[in-house]
Amino acid sequence: MTSGRAQDVKACCSAAYGGAAARYLLGESFHPGGTDLTLTLVRELALGPGDLLVDVASGRGTSALLAARETGCDVIGVDLAPENVAEATAAAATAGLRGEVRFVVGDAERLPLDDGRADAALCECSLCLFPDAAAAVAEIARALRPGGLLALSDVVIAPGGIGPEMRDVAGWVACLANARPIEDVVGMLQEAGLDPRRVERHDRAIGETVDRVEARLRLARALGAAVPAEVRDGARRGLELVAAARRALADGTLGYGVVVARRR
Amino acid sequence: MASTERARKADRDEVFLELTRSICPVCKRVIDAEVNIRDGRVVMRKRCREHGSFEALVYSDADLYMSQIRFNKPGTLPLEFQTQVRDGCPLDCGLCPDHKQHACLGLIEVNSACNLDCPVCFADSGHHADGFSLTREQVARMLDAFIAAEGDPEVIQFSGGEPSIHPQIVEFLQMAVDRGIRNVMLNTNGIRLARDRRFVDELARLGILVYLQFDGFDDATHRAIRGRDLRELKERALASCADAGLAVTLVAAVERGVNEHEVGAVVRHGVAHPAVRAVVFQPVTHAGRHIAFDPLDRLTNADVMRLLAAQLPEWLEVRDFVPVPCCFPTCRSMCYGFVDEGTLVPFARLVDVEDYLDYATNRVLPDLEVRHALEGMFSASATPGAEAALLSCESCGIAPPDGLADFAGRVFMIVVQDFQDAYTLNVRQLMKCCVEQITPDGRLIPFCAYNSVGYRERVRASLSGAEVEPVVPNALPIQDLLAPTRHGSRTVRARPGDGAPRGPR
Repeated sequence: MTSGRAQDVKACCSAAYGGAAARYLLGESFHPGGTDLTLTLVRELALGPGDLLVDVASGRGTSALLAARETGCDVIGVDLAPENVAEATAAAATAGLRGEVRFVVGDAERLPLDDGRADAALCECSLCLFPDAAAAVAEIARALRPGGLLALSDVVIAPGGIGPEMRDVAGWVACLANARPIEDVVGMLQEAGLDPRRVERHDRAIGETVDRVEARLRLARALGAAVPAEVRDGARRGLELVAAARRALADGTLGYGVVVARRR
Repeated sequence: MASTERARKADRDEVFLELTRSICPVCKRVIDAEVNIRDGRVVMRKRCREHGSFEALVYSDADLYMSQIRFNKPGTLPLEFQTQVRDGCPLDCGLCPDHKQHACLGLIEVNSACNLDCPVCFADSGHHADGFSLTREQVARMLDAFIAAEGDPEVIQFSGGEPSIHPQIVEFLQMAVDRGIRNVMLNTNGIRLARDRRFVDELARLGILVYLQFDGFDDATHRAIRGRDLRELKERALASCADAGLAVTLVAAVERGVNEHEVGAVVRHGVAHPAVRAVVFQPVTHAGRHIAFDPLDRLTNADVMRLLAAQLPEWLEVRDFVPVPCCFPTCRSMCYGFVDEGTLVPFARLVDVEDYLDYATNRVLPDLEVRHALEGMFSASATPGAEAALLSCESCGIAPPDGLADFAGRVFMIVVQDFQDAYTLNVRQLMKCCVEQITPDGRLIPFCAYNSVGYRERVRASLSGAEVEPVVPNALPIQDLLAPTRHGSRTVRARPGDGAPRGPR
């Protein structure tokens, strides 16, 4: 089974590179679109000093800190992983934003915020990772004040779903297995009381992510004898899947969507 | 107003970016200069009250130019300055206390003689009887001046003329190695490397980095830039270096209409060749001797990067190049890559290099250890092996240490470097220059000032004892003002009543 092998590769990689290296090479330091797309989303939210932004699945806090520095807003970042929250908290301290930006361990389906408390919400490349996306969207809507804005980005697929060769990729990349058409995301938001005012595809962003994954896999292969044989084999298989992902990207069955929606 | 038809105000066709200082390309007088964006290109315009208006292309992609300004690292003070501020930039070189950066790379031209007479040579070198050849004492003084300024210099490059024909060149290289300068480079046309195996072995013994002129593969390219077909000699030189284990950087001078179509092939050749670790592309510097050119249609870094992306579509995109932050960021861009099964994989796709080297907006607070390692790589002093700092950096330890020895040989560097000439000289860039020409009186003169303001002519005159005429760019709009010098460059045609030519001390 491919997913079993993916697990093996993950385990091998972290063993081979150790924590710090894995962070930069194979970790989540990069989401499609990078800092530039985050900045675009943050600007859509029209935040100012004193406003409260909730960053759902805030990871290591890069976007939350960026939003605070760019707009002067306060941020509460919520992430399921305690190690992410610890790192993000340390990063906020380094940035001198300990008072403005806080990170808490929490579930997207149960945000630690009173009803209508947040002026805006940010959710980057994570909707497809939530076990119950509809519940997470409803929770974001609950936390937003009426008129508050949500900026969301995520991997999207064609309405007809992904082709058979991409199903193999989906076995490797968790977010692909649960990715949905952008129309479905829009429908889910509307149902929760969030009216989309901007719906866009940013497929180039995901092309850059594929470039990055390919470069990392090639590095694992180029390192040769320095990495365990299983990792090299995994890299070889990964590179075949990268080629499949490129084809899906070219024919539009795979892409990256951005939605900005307003709480009714 | 009596008139019923009112005149409508029109917009200018350009966006004004800055007012700076430059020089008149003819008399070298320091004059104001405007930098504007017009038709998506960055153009400098200036006016000399004696010689009129001049326009020159600075960068052919305005969007790229603007986005690169962020990559501007705060300068580092050298241990000592060599001159005082008296007349203002660019007349007090150097380095004067107003200079914004220390020297990443020092250059020593050991002679003016060359075994070639290339139609393109910013140093105006060749088979001339009126040249100079440095003595051991002069070179010692220059190395000591460099060390006094830098403490622990990163790179020294020996150049000329053709340095390999200086009878004491091995001794000079040894002197630099003995002084502990970390990287010692020889800038050469390769003729001696092809013909003298013992010389190659001496270089290998000293661990010299070879900086080999290599402009392309067409006979026409060789004849246009070097005056003769050197293809076989270049290959023999490369083979000899590979055999001796020398690391070679190929250096291509690129000129409009001559070898633009060959830049991709030069990279391919380098990636495939066991001796080659890097390729440097330099749009031909319109200083010294060169082919007549149109200042508004010259090649810039943006053109070279676009040519590389177009000729190597399966390997590179323009965004794989990173502006070098130690000098002014539009002067030099670099792309590191590693070679995997014959394919070059750009380094910028592994790490968000831009997030680490964006000093102006500082949107992301970078891990300083990673930033420091990346600064070492994306620097004017980067030589083959510079990636070791990042690869061994604990914060990002991209490769496990055991794999490094094997992997280092697979890292490849592509540099695109545009030098300024008397048309494009901008003191804003010049004041941050980190490539310095060392003079026998112990000054460190920014390379582009040395070649375009008049320093080169004065130093050459004082070293050779022969008069050296002030050199003027061989630009198409000023052809009727020009006369050839005896070295092949151009000077101002003498006119009755002309005053003495201006220039720095």
